[in-house]
Amino acid sequence: MYRLFLAIRYLLTRPINLLGMFGIALSVWALVVVVSLFSGFIATVEEHVHSASADVSVSNLPAWAKWSKLRAALADEPNLSAMAPRLVHYGLIHHPGKRPAPPPLPGRTALHGGDQPFLFVLGIHAAEEAAATGFGGWITDPDIAPELRVKDPQNALAPQHGVPSVLLGVERMRAEGLRPGDTLVLTTGVLRTAPDGTKSPQQVQIPLVIAGAYKTKHGGFDGNNLFVDIGTLQQELLEGDTDAVHEIAIAVRDESQLDETADRIARIVHRAVDRGDQMARGTAQTWREKNLAFLQSVEHQRALLKIVLIVIMVTAAFLMLATLSMMVTEKTSDIGILTAMGGTPLGVTSVFLACGLTITAIGVLLGIGVGSLTAIYLEEVRQALLWAFGIDLFPLQVYNLDRVPCHIDPLWLVQVAGMAFGTGFVVSVLPALRAALYDPLISLRGT
Amino acid sequence: MTPPVLAASGITKNYRLGKQSIPVLRGVDLAVQQGEILALLGASGAGKSTLLHVLGLLDQPTTGEILFDGEPVQNLPVRERARLRHSHTGFVFQFYHLIPELTALQNVMLAGMMTKSVLQYWAIRKQARREATEILEQVGLADRLKHRPSELSGGERQRVAIARALLARPRVILADEPTGNLDSTTADGVVDLMFRIQKERNLAFVLVTHDEDLAQRADRIVRMKDGVVLSSAAVR
Ligand SMILES: Nc1ncnc2c1ncn2[C@@H]1O[C@H](COP(=O)(O)OP(=O)(O)OP(=O)(O)O)[C@@H](O)[C@H]1O
Ligand SMILES: [Mg+2]
Repeated sequence: MYRLFLAIRYLLTRPINLLGMFGIALSVWALVVVVSLFSGFIATVEEHVHSASADVSVSNLPAWAKWSKLRAALADEPNLSAMAPRLVHYGLIHHPGKRPAPPPLPGRTALHGGDQPFLFVLGIHAAEEAAATGFGGWITDPDIAPELRVKDPQNALAPQHGVPSVLLGVERMRAEGLRPGDTLVLTTGVLRTAPDGTKSPQQVQIPLVIAGAYKTKHGGFDGNNLFVDIGTLQQELLEGDTDAVHEIAIAVRDESQLDETADRIARIVHRAVDRGDQMARGTAQTWREKNLAFLQSVEHQRALLKIVLIVIMVTAAFLMLATLSMMVTEKTSDIGILTAMGGTPLGVTSVFLACGLTITAIGVLLGIGVGSLTAIYLEEVRQALLWAFGIDLFPLQVYNLDRVPCHIDPLWLVQVAGMAFGTGFVVSVLPALRAALYDPLISLRGT
Repeated sequence: MTPPVLAASGITKNYRLGKQSIPVLRGVDLAVQQGEILALLGASGAGKSTLLHVLGLLDQPTTGEILFDGEPVQNLPVRERARLRHSHTGFVFQFYHLIPELTALQNVMLAGMMTKSVLQYWAIRKQARREATEILEQVGLADRLKHRPSELSGGERQRVAIARALLARPRVILADEPTGNLDSTTADGVVDLMFRIQKERNLAFVLVTHDEDLAQRADRIVRMKDGVVLSSAAVR
């Protein structure tokens, strides 16, 4: 009993110990809030990326791949619910008679697609694409202003007055002041084979008319891709080869089987196009694999932040070590009398250990509690800060969000608590050990 | 005849100082009977404090035996010796050794918590508080319960220390120059108090002192020099 009693008295009479407690609480708080925010952000980014991707994408197909053959082969895959062919090309677009588009905004290229006019040109079959991806939703997204919408979503890419249609990301439309009905010129090139067998690049310009805007949740996709009808590209670039395909967008029935399905699809594709060249037989990637570099970059940021915050926790632990050591130094004189009154050396030592552990426990509980609350009400906190100080913690528009993302992982809470307890234990044991090594008779002989 | 409450036989104690071994006690025999006041006199450095620590199981003798009620105790496990320090002997020191964060009452109550678990103590908390209050009343500090040591005079502090030593109802009190830090009037008061309680409770009392007059009030005077007992004589 005396241990608990003394530990409490020692702590209550030394407000400086609050410093260590506060330090631990603060670092735990930061670990909970920042990591929850990042986990929420990662979950949101994944959702956004997924919404702009097919469940499985077959790509890197060789030039001789034929859509009819691949479609027939893939029809055997039981977990496949829909598939759509794509041609993937690149090009510059410009608006004839208008000033060139402004240069990319600094820092907005990576996530947001920026404003570079060099784009992916995706040739799709609108009806099949709508079955295999979220295409149908992308062109009817309620966030698209009515004047920018596609007039006839059922025939989104139908040519207008003989001119092929194009769909642009809504942000690009807005930024460049484009409207449905505006004409654009897509400038691109192909390698043409001359009769003597030499290949040479040839410029191709395709006039296009804007049918409307599309919007996925992944701004980076919208900024960098435009959709045209697959027939347009087959006609203009592939000499009318209506069976050409570069990529296949596939929707699956059962998402939990995604990886296995992708593996099976890869094997089907290999068999269908294999001509003995390891490099040219296509790949099948899940949406996660296809965006792996991007998703991992966000996860790396989270990992880095974890390290930084753990370092802060260790710093807080040092603070605690300092205050506890000071206390032990001050209280060695009590060790003698406690021993004389019937304390064992171990028991007296544990008074100091109990002090440290109490500080740690309260700090951790405080940090976890307040941290979880902050994380849950992060959006409210953001709005309060915005209202009170005009500080925006997390600019939502940049990331296409309507509230600050947050995902509290109970396992992470346990890990943080465990880490904090671990460091707290170590810094409590060290001064307590010093107390244990102290000879109680020294204080009893002297003052 | 009942065995002495506290006895020492053939006690030697060497301190190691580097490679050197310094003999501080060189064969001390001593017995204290229940109800007896024994004064321990000797020049500074004679080994009085060391002997007292050995008698109270605070320090281990190099050789020799400590007997409580005739039973050897110096080789008992650490926990057992701690329990005996608590229940068999009470210590009073020259410099009080009160815990500055605690009030007088809490300092005394602390002695009652030493060997009890939280649950055990919780069950008797009211009674424990009452007993501590009563003892402080006995030593004349009824109106000083809530004072911290820094708010008490030297004499009052020593009274708190005496109350603390008595709380666990020990059979032996070991006092190391308990009045060494007090003026003579205050010292007289403290000594009167100690001897009165000693009589009331029929305690064995070992009193280390440099004060010949004080020693004359004991039942027996043991004189030490250089770690040996020179003489042991009954007073009057
Ligand atoms: N830890 C130690 N290491 C070495 N020598 C020690 C130690 N403690 C005490 N001594 C020596 O033991 C001897 C006896 O000390 P002790 O404190 O018992 O004397 P004392 O009779 O109580 O003296 P005083 O009247 O001044 O209190 C002294 O010479 C002291 O230097
Ligand atoms: Mg001494």
